[in-house]
Amino acid sequence: MKTALDLGFIALTDAAPLIVAQTHGLFASEGLDVSLHREVSWATIRDKVSAGVFQAAHMLAPMAIATNLGVGSERAHVVVPMSLNAHGAGIGVSATLADEMAQADPAAPLSATALAGAVAQRRRAGKPNISFAVVFPYSMHNYMLRFWAASAGVDPDDDIRIGVAPPTAIAAQLKSGEVDGFCVGAPWGALCEAQSGAKVALHAADFWPGGPDKVLGVSGAWANREPAQMLALMRALIRGARWADEAANADDLAALLARPEWLNAPEHLIAQRLAPNTPQSLRFARHTALYPWRSHAAWIASQMVRWGQAPADMDLDAAIACYQPDLFREAAADAGLNAPVADSKIEGAHDTAWSLAGRDGPIEMTADQMPGRAEFAPDRAAEYATSFKISRSRS
Amino acid sequence: MRLLLVDPDPARAALVAEGLADISPLELRRTGSLNQAELANFRPDVIVVASDSPDRDTLESLRESTQANPRPVLMFVDRSEPGFGDEAIRAGVAAYIVDGLQPGRIRSILEVAMSRFQLMQQLRADLAKAQSDLATRKTVERAKGLLMKERQVGEEEAYGLLRKLAMNSGRPIAAVAADLLAFSGVLKGDKS
Repeated sequence: MKTALDLGFIALTDAAPLIVAQTHGLFASEGLDVSLHREVSWATIRDKVSAGVFQAAHMLAPMAIATNLGVGSERAHVVVPMSLNAHGAGIGVSATLADEMAQADPAAPLSATALAGAVAQRRRAGKPNISFAVVFPYSMHNYMLRFWAASAGVDPDDDIRIGVAPPTAIAAQLKSGEVDGFCVGAPWGALCEAQSGAKVALHAADFWPGGPDKVLGVSGAWANREPAQMLALMRALIRGARWADEAANADDLAALLARPEWLNAPEHLIAQRLAPNTPQSLRFARHTALYPWRSHAAWIASQMVRWGQAPADMDLDAAIACYQPDLFREAAADAGLNAPVADSKIEGAHDTAWSLAGRDGPIEMTADQMPGRAEFAPDRAAEYATSFKISRSRS
Repeated sequence: MRLLLVDPDPARAALVAEGLADISPLELRRTGSLNQAELANFRPDVIVVASDSPDRDTLESLRESTQANPRPVLMFVDRSEPGFGDEAIRAGVAAYIVDGLQPGRIRSILEVAMSRFQLMQQLRADLAKAQSDLATRKTVERAKGLLMKERQVGEEEAYGLLRKLAMNSGRPIAAVAADLLAFSGVLKGDKS
């Protein structure tokens, strides 16, 4: 008798590990009878995991942390035993805004400085503020856009407007002129480029190579009750992610994800961000893309403090305790995947390829420089969180 | 009290509105998708939103707003009564109240919305089942007709043959009937 599980996902390329595990029978071979439910809002994903309607789901990394803190929702225990991907998201601007930015800074037309110039121009002309859409308040998309804007002195709350729209709706909002820019995951950014000539200003892969994005958010109650089932689920996802990561499978993966029941999006746009040997391409398993780095969680928590979503004196250790690398090491060992020994790392310390200590030998890593070339030391996250000039931090 | 119902499914929204008609004083406005200008204009005290509405995340973000803009400060209803929120999530309804409103006042509203959502789900499931039953019956009828013609047997005997095939293969009679029709197509040289 198979174990019936209900899992949620949003139509995004980074749901690939779940979709591959389902369509390739990887869940079934672990004795799991999985129903994958496509949802249209992240809030519904969060609520269904919190209430135990879903045992686990494709989730925004910051959403999992916020939910454990009771920030923006009822407090609920969500476990993060693994990540699902790195890269894929991007900040983009409409053709009109791209022109304004190019006028403001012809030398670096898609830079944050150019954005600052366009903001100033609109203000002088008495025009409304530039508006962006992101996918959720607790998302890397929101933090990346805010970090980028603030790096050039643009206050993301006062100088521009940041609204929220579901990934699948952003292209339409850009086309209608409702928003001037966006930060959204693949393939929806590519759709904005194809439909209305939007330009990508910054890829997540260039913002923070190997940085966090989506995770597996697991109902805490279920994780406690059924640890063996959770490990089985994780093994299937690890195998799905490794298949999705193979360069030779990129075309098949794009064709699979494009299907109406999964992403229902044009195959060639999905393929753009799966192209092998392109630094901006999504990573599913390589270079520890599946590992729930506690240093990722600490950076996310620092941004919650920076933008006033959580108080500056919040308990950072408690905030990142939902990330459980021990569970990942256990599942990875059973699935034959090497995993890091350390729970955390200094983020952004490498400007060239490097090698990380793994339980079964060294793991190849790529350069991982962070924005502003600053390093992030997770044990100094509290200090980092309050070190920014533009900030909404509150005690 | 002003209530905004955000539901992309017009039939379900009508059902909820009908259920809420008895609750007074209640001014109800229905919309398939969220319009922020309309939101600012109508200034609802309560927002009931279908969890399959793509506008949920936008609505959710309004709670986050640190701006001085005249936006409603929303509270997720869950906060007032643990457990009740879970039930609503299962039914596919989420609700927000504008901060300052007594959460207890909206319990009856949410209960009506939940029961109407469940009713709609039941109606849809019944319809789907009726359609599938009808399709099954048509397939079985056609397979029976085929057997009657090919084997020169009566209706009852043809049905008996189908039932025997189903029992021997341990599969539903409709599946066996569908196979039979497909094979007969192949034998006749159909391309499909």
